[in-house]
Amino acid sequence: MRRSEKKRIAFFDFACCEGCQLAVLELEETLLDLLSHTDIAAWREVMTGDEPPYDVAFCEGSICTRADEERLLRVRRDAKILVALGTCAAIGCHNNLRNRIDTREALEKVYGKAARGMDVTEARPVSAVVDTDYRILGCPVSLPEFIAVFKAILTDQPYRLPNEPVCVECKLTDTLCVYEKGRVCLGPLTRCGCGAICTRFGDVCHGCRGLVDEANLAAMPRVFSREHLHAIMGAVASGQPLDEERIRQMIALYNNYPELKIEDRGDA
Amino acid sequence: MTATHLISEDAFASLLDRLIQDMPVMGPVERRDQPGFYRFDRLEKTADLQVAYTTTTIPPKKFFFPPVDEMFTFDQSGPLHIEEQAEGSPFVLVGVHPCDLAAIEALDAAYAFPPADMRWIRRRKQAVIIGMECRPDDYCFCTSLGTADARAPADLFLTPLDEGYLAEVHSPMGSVLLSDTAARQATKNDRKAAEQVLQRKIEAVTARLTTSVSQLADILEYGGLTAVWRETAERCYSCGSCNITCPTCFCFSIEDTLDADLSGGQRQRSWDACQLLDFARVAGGHNFRGDRWQRVRHRWHRKFLYLYRRFGRPYCTGCGRCSRACTADINIVDITNRLVAHFQQEHKP
Repeated sequence: MRRSEKKRIAFFDFACCEGCQLAVLELEETLLDLLSHTDIAAWREVMTGDEPPYDVAFCEGSICTRADEERLLRVRRDAKILVALGTCAAIGCHNNLRNRIDTREALEKVYGKAARGMDVTEARPVSAVVDTDYRILGCPVSLPEFIAVFKAILTDQPYRLPNEPVCVECKLTDTLCVYEKGRVCLGPLTRCGCGAICTRFGDVCHGCRGLVDEANLAAMPRVFSREHLHAIMGAVASGQPLDEERIRQMIALYNNYPELKIEDRGDA
Repeated sequence: MTATHLISEDAFASLLDRLIQDMPVMGPVERRDQPGFYRFDRLEKTADLQVAYTTTTIPPKKFFFPPVDEMFTFDQSGPLHIEEQAEGSPFVLVGVHPCDLAAIEALDAAYAFPPADMRWIRRRKQAVIIGMECRPDDYCFCTSLGTADARAPADLFLTPLDEGYLAEVHSPMGSVLLSDTAARQATKNDRKAAEQVLQRKIEAVTARLTTSVSQLADILEYGGLTAVWRETAERCYSCGSCNITCPTCFCFSIEDTLDADLSGGQRQRSWDACQLLDFARVAGGHNFRGDRWQRVRHRWHRKFLYLYRRFGRPYCTGCGRCSRACTADINIVDITNRLVAHFQQEHKP
């Protein structure tokens, strides 16, 4: 395979915890290998300076203010390839939950008088504001996926998001099904690619990578009606009926832009 | 007649001790994160072996074909260099239930079908298999598939009795295993006791198919069952758990990945599942089974029609893993019986 010329890469963060960039830094030596094919044009979390244009811009976080929006549009203009880094940027995450309540009301509640003059917009994932060329999912990003996308970009290849539920990765790693332990898990609806990291280490899947294509939401209430699960879910839901709406609420913790269909898998 | 011996629990334990010192020994162990649940894993010591285990999530086929199997590495920094990854070293697989033995035999046939899968065949040759009589759970239905007393391809098969184990020798390797073990010739009574264990097991299996496997193949071939497929698909997640936990499913996909230096990499294959949306998606985007119900139907057709016609046996051994793994409670016995009932309803005299 031909080696590409060194690419100029940049990282940008918008409304987020910057945990995805931290996760990337945890790649340590692998990151150094990857970076050896690149020049860094901007990366506020690790260095000062910003020298556009960029071959690749990784954008983390959600777009919540006019200033965010303008900065993102500027990055988009200056970047040949724009990557939505993490669930906030790709499909919307916790910070998008505020769209459910009135923005002014939320602002005043959090910031009090300082809220005056804040030019906020609806919270949106990066991919709802500009065209993205690649998306990396996860809260924080799945590192194997970050590496795969990075290598795809360096070698001018498409990247295809895995399109299987998390159950596949639980089974391939011989992890005991969470349902066998009597707990509820969003794994059957959630796009894999995380290596089942939560379930392998004793948690349940919270669905941070969003829905898999054609996720069978209608099947979920029937699952929850299984007797042993009903007892548990009943407690969790504190009396709320276990209908599709309730399940959508659970999913919407991370995947709250469901109308945003993931079509641009890079190879379309 | 098969040679049978009686070995005490102590004698079996010292046999295992010796084997564990010599080579990797794989068997059912209890899950640390959830007591009462089991997985096949390497035994560190004899006491790790759980003789009375019920079932495991993943069948023992994983030792002959790992879920993710690295086939070769390549390096393109100079002239292309390919290095095949060896399949590992000899090992012992102990505690395999009859349904899983039958499944390994079924996979032997499938992977030997031209073009033969040499990675499977080479790994199989490295293994010594010790089978073990089982205790069925609610999902088991081996009696409907004739696998309740399957023995091949075990070298040795053990039935726990009060005094120890009745050991049936099924290959020259089986005799070798017993050669240094304190064992006595089994008596008529020992064999009778083992026969009773089998009978009690057969009686304990309550889930049953309402038709024979040959009639089931005919019914599936005749068709007209779309209503049942669609109804089943309504609650199916297409998560592939039924396939991946199946001891006789053998489909895989192959993928190349590059190392971070971009000059080398590896080719690996991993278990695939026909229930997944993209399984039958081909170049250009067409999906041969884009509808969920088509994928559900395909699974039954594979298990009980296509492979039954090709290999003369259903590709299901009644282990019940798929039903247990299904969070949506799609039970292979229930659905099969519903298919049969639907067919009978449609063809009332």
